[in-house]
Amino acid sequence: MRPRRTQSGRSSGSRWAVPALLVLAVAGSRGATPAHAPVIAAPGVANPAHIAAGGLPPPGPVVRNPYRGESAIARAGGKLFVSMHCSDCHGDAAAGAVGPNLGDGRWRYGATDAAVFRSIYFGRPRGMPAFGGVLGAQGVWVLVTYLRSLPPPADQPTERFSRH
Amino acid sequence: MRWSVARDHDMVRAIVGHILRKRTGMRACVAGFLAITAIAGATGLARADRRASAGAPADGEWPMPAGDASATRYSPLAQIDVANAPRLRPVWSFSTGVLGGHEGQPLVVGDTMYVVTPWPNVLYAFDLSRPGYPLKWKFRPDVSRAAIGAACCDVVNRGAVYADGKIIYNLLDGHTIAVDAATGRPVWETKIASVADGQTVTMAPFVIGDRVIVGASGGEFGIYGWIKGLDLATGRVVWTGHNLGPDAGMLIRPGQFHPPYVSGAELGVRSWARGTWKHGGAPVWGWISYDPKRDLLYYGTGNAGPYDAEQRAGDNRWASSVLARRPENGALIWAYQFTPHDSWDYDATGAMILANLTIGGKRVPALVHFDKNGFAYTLDRSTGRVLVAQPFTDVTWAKSIDLATGRPVVNPAMQTGDTKGDVKGICPSLEGGVSPASPPAYSPRTHLFYTSTNNFCMDYTVHRIAYIKGTPYMGVSSPYTAGPGGHLGAFIAWDATTGRVVWKDPEPYPSWSGALVTAGDVAFYGTLDGWFKAVDARTGKLLYRFKVGSGVVGAPIAFRGPDGRQYLAIYAGIGGDWALLAGDTLSDDPTDLRAPNPLLENLASRTSQGGMVWIFGL
Ligand code: HEC
Repeated sequence: MRPRRTQSGRSSGSRWAVPALLVLAVAGSRGATPAHAPVIAAPGVANPAHIAAGGLPPPGPVVRNPYRGESAIARAGGKLFVSMHCSDCHGDAAAGAVGPNLGDGRWRYGATDAAVFRSIYFGRPRGMPAFGGVLGAQGVWVLVTYLRSLPPPADQPTERFSRH
Repeated sequence: MRWSVARDHDMVRAIVGHILRKRTGMRACVAGFLAITAIAGATGLARADRRASAGAPADGEWPMPAGDASATRYSPLAQIDVANAPRLRPVWSFSTGVLGGHEGQPLVVGDTMYVVTPWPNVLYAFDLSRPGYPLKWKFRPDVSRAAIGAACCDVVNRGAVYADGKIIYNLLDGHTIAVDAATGRPVWETKIASVADGQTVTMAPFVIGDRVIVGASGGEFGIYGWIKGLDLATGRVVWTGHNLGPDAGMLIRPGQFHPPYVSGAELGVRSWARGTWKHGGAPVWGWISYDPKRDLLYYGTGNAGPYDAEQRAGDNRWASSVLARRPENGALIWAYQFTPHDSWDYDATGAMILANLTIGGKRVPALVHFDKNGFAYTLDRSTGRVLVAQPFTDVTWAKSIDLATGRPVVNPAMQTGDTKGDVKGICPSLEGGVSPASPPAYSPRTHLFYTSTNNFCMDYTVHRIAYIKGTPYMGVSSPYTAGPGGHLGAFIAWDATTGRVVWKDPEPYPSWSGALVTAGDVAFYGTLDGWFKAVDARTGKLLYRFKVGSGVVGAPIAFRGPDGRQYLAIYAGIGGDWALLAGDTLSDDPTDLRAPNPLLENLASRTSQGGMVWIFGL
């Protein structure tokens, strides 16, 4: 029989080390050297669409996109989207193929830059590879900036069939 | 604060403990129930085994993907014929609860019908001897979700095979599993493929003697393609033969390998620039057939990777080829390449149908193959030499196949590559003149082959690409355009001795279902917009049709029920490539909206996802 699959590979001790480090890496890339030793802390609200038990969203530092709204970065991200093979799974212009449409303004894992960052950096269970290892935090933010710049088409929710 | 958290934890622990105690109690009950079903099932097994040991499959059963080892998808049942087929009616249906593309076909062994779903690869066993065909059991394997993203073209499964009291099938996440046909309990499970390396498994295994033959998909992920022979009793991997690369890895034994048209050592290395065979693809995701007289198994290999052919100068052997091997040890005996230096994603994984045909007054042991590249080939299956090769749909990439060399006469204007820019008007498209997922049928009564076909073309732009493990190795953009004639598909009858279309039933949408033909001279298929159709095998005249609820990408089968009557079974459940290409037929995810594909205007007005099994009878 197949060995039991482990649900989570990480031990609780090292669990939050990576996000904390990448926050630092991003900060570093913007020229700000942290004055203190890294604080090992949980990231903040992972997905604002999730219902918080007791009405208390999990606390923690909020991860921010250092390139938010920068159009030159978004254009670079469009190139990266092709050269990193994202388009081979998500389709031309991220319109959906094996992976979901990333340009429809709707997000399976939350409509925040941080949630999109997590999808790309750590991957997602239904076959989204983790790109944090090959791209680093900076590369991932460039992709986030590109994806969040895609304007969702106007009248998507209704598909009308004209020529019956 | 701290203290209150601790107190909360204690409370939670108490609740969890309480629930766990309850659950354990329930477990004991379930185990008792399973033991009872196992005993009840054992009698069923004895029955199935007696049947199997009687030799060739009983004429009313469908124990392997294509019904027989020659891959004919021909049923000798004749109760349903041209005269009464218009009175067919649906007699039963069942929702599989799964939304992926339902390719492949059910099996019928004894009084049980077996159905494998797309991921998560549920296996159902229906009792055909009881009213309403209730389930005997269902089996739910622990199959990884990560495989979903590594499957190029939806999470399909092309079916199971029955042998030795076991139902054997492949899990998307790279495992072959054998399940006791009577009890539904797993007997063995073998990891055959690595999802982390881009390998997923969608093909139906094939059994020859005590070998289970399996292969992996991954032509879009830069795999080093292979086929394996497992031991039927234990699942142990007995041999692995690669489809490209060094002779040793391909199981080429001295003096045994005789490809027609070429000779020499290390063809699988020398025909790839700079070691590109290592990520050259040539996957195995289609169908397998076997000729007991020659003791050869036949299968096709998929496309070469990456899609930019200029990155892998050379013929790229043996991608887009048919290979003939010995089942016992995998030794490669001959191979023939349909599309050398594949520059259009022309997989050759479609069925290799074995039939004895009369060509020019001579009886020949033929192998007939409808290729994605738009040509149908009639080969001598002893040698691999091409006897007939003619287009069965619109073809622009090549003018013809040169019978002296076996090579296509390529139209230089249709050669693609990263220096070629946007090459327009390539027919067929990379979906193929026929999809390998749509296996044809052959009737020894009409001497005709029946197959779905596609009638659309593509523009093709590729860019240079780096190999990144675990991601696609493609680098292509290929919008489709309709072929001539105002229809995107057709179901055709083909004469493989002369290479011509005998009749043709045009379909508004690409035709993606497998074919079935019976001794009643009726041919069956399904359409992408959800019709199950019966047509006169001699004329193509429509005899019966019924809307089955979702587009058909599976293959029909015929069987005799325990009541002695003939039935037909087919899956509905649009998907496969159409899950990607007609994304507006998906409705289950509010965070994934897809624009309609301009090629398939209004397809979503006729069908949406949903897996169903249908049975038809008189
Ligand atoms: C191997 C195929 C594959 C590749 C390559 C791939 N993705 Fe994905 N991606 C997926 C799949 C499948 C999902 C859905 C995962 C899930 O729901 O668990 C997904 C999900 C996502 C999501 C979450 C979407 C949402 O609605 O919340 C983002 C963002 C994303 N991918 C971005 C990218 C980027 C950027 C790249 C390139 C660096 C990329 N993907 C490469 C298959 C892929």
